[in-house]
Amino acid sequence: MAKEFEPNIIGFLCNWCSYAGADLAGTSRIKYPPNIKSIRVMCSGRVDTVFILEALRKGADGVLIAGCHPGDCHYQSGNYKTNRRIRLLKKFLNDMGVEPERVRFEYVSASEGQKFAQVVTDFVNQLKKLGPTPLKEIA
Amino acid sequence: MVDLKKLRESTEKIINRDDVKYVIGWEKGTHGFQVTPLFITSSDDVERLIFNPLCVHNLTVFLMLQEKLPLRKGAEEDKRKVGVIVKGCDSRAIVQIIQEKGLNRDDVVIIGIPCTGVIDPKKINKKFPNQTKTVDIDEDANNFVIKIDGKTHKVPKEELLMDKCKQCQFPNPIIYDVLVGSEIKTTGKPNYKDVESFEKKSLKEKWEYWEKQFEKCIRCYACRNVCPMCYCKECMVDQLNPQWIRRSVNVSENTAWNIMRAFHLAGRCIDCGECERVCPAEIPLVKLNKKLEKEVLELFDYRAGLDVDVKPLLSMFKPDDPEEFIL
Ligand code: SF4
Ligand code: SF4
Ligand code: SF4
Ligand code: FES
Repeated sequence: MAKEFEPNIIGFLCNWCSYAGADLAGTSRIKYPPNIKSIRVMCSGRVDTVFILEALRKGADGVLIAGCHPGDCHYQSGNYKTNRRIRLLKKFLNDMGVEPERVRFEYVSASEGQKFAQVVTDFVNQLKKLGPTPLKEIA
Repeated sequence: MVDLKKLRESTEKIINRDDVKYVIGWEKGTHGFQVTPLFITSSDDVERLIFNPLCVHNLTVFLMLQEKLPLRKGAEEDKRKVGVIVKGCDSRAIVQIIQEKGLNRDDVVIIGIPCTGVIDPKKINKKFPNQTKTVDIDEDANNFVIKIDGKTHKVPKEELLMDKCKQCQFPNPIIYDVLVGSEIKTTGKPNYKDVESFEKKSLKEKWEYWEKQFEKCIRCYACRNVCPMCYCKECMVDQLNPQWIRRSVNVSENTAWNIMRAFHLAGRCIDCGECERVCPAEIPLVKLNKKLEKEVLELFDYRAGLDVDVKPLLSMFKPDDPEEFIL
């Protein structure tokens, strides 16, 4: 029997909220799929679009960017700016023929372990439907 | 068309100022329909200055390409201004660069020309191929008047104009110190017809379309070098550590390059069309830029290069920016 497609996800998690949120999910033993590899960044605003593209090209099927809720960013406005950038990037990916659903931006606070698990589960299911990314680099 | 005598007079006045280093304009090329950029460093050069519908180049790129050599000990930096001649679209690049704080308004002297449209070099070279001698071009209201070997050809403007000029919304420079000639009335509206028909394609069709285009890219980076908005000290494509885009010329690296280039110009591209003009592989880069321009307009109601006091698109936000969250 063919094995089910297991998507790879790279998660860029903000140090001040979502990274702690993911930690909370772990310490509270909330179950979520192991497809995500987390990278801690100091703010969701740190995530340059070139990081996202690189992840998609190096084998990620989806990229999750998670940051503080509006108004809660440690650096005031990082998350607002990221929201703009990601919104636009998704539109643009769609224009290029890449499914925009492969990039996802979410607000997850340090107390939202449950939400983090939910987001990842959801994302994995979505990516399973989409299959592997067309952007993957030719070695 | 602009009165050349007046243009030269204005330029002469400016180059004779003590605080101006040089003025950038156009001069006749060496053959055919070619016109090349001219750097006027003294009033002697002014007689070489021209302006006609072949002056396609957006000269503002040279403002950002100024060579700054290391100074000798005790030597003082040359702080004189640079003059530049601009058409309507070109001027938007200056506005945008000032917005981004890439350039100081006081460091440039801008000579503006209300523009009636320029000729697409590809179109004219196709119509009159293999011209070795330089050709003189004039225009009346609806035609270009082209003199080749003593023979005069009248060609309707529609046939030769750059596509961008047919839908030009800003023929009058947005920013200038001197305006040569009087402002032109315009009926141009943003036109996204080309883009709209593209939008109807399915994801797969879009991907295949661009893959076919990017396959042709030879990674000469002419599109970047000619673009006034590509003035990063180190372009991400040249960066080695980390190396975001590999040197190899294959469809995957080419796609990555073209995606990043276009995205870096989102909300910044002022639609001068220079990138597409210089691309040797004839990749429809303007279509790519236009698509992003439309997205930016729809999402954030924003257009690049219209107002020096506005903040750049991606370095500001509004609390009510559109969001799309599922949870
Ligand atoms: S000018 Fe054309 S061929 Fe050259 S790098 Fe740009 S897109 Fe590629
Ligand atoms: S991307 Fe092309 S059209 Fe846009 S500003 Fe640069 S050269 Fe001009
Ligand atoms: S492509 Fe991007 S990094 Fe390179 S010069 Fe243009 S804006 Fe800068
Ligand atoms: S600090 Fe968390 S998004 Fe900016």
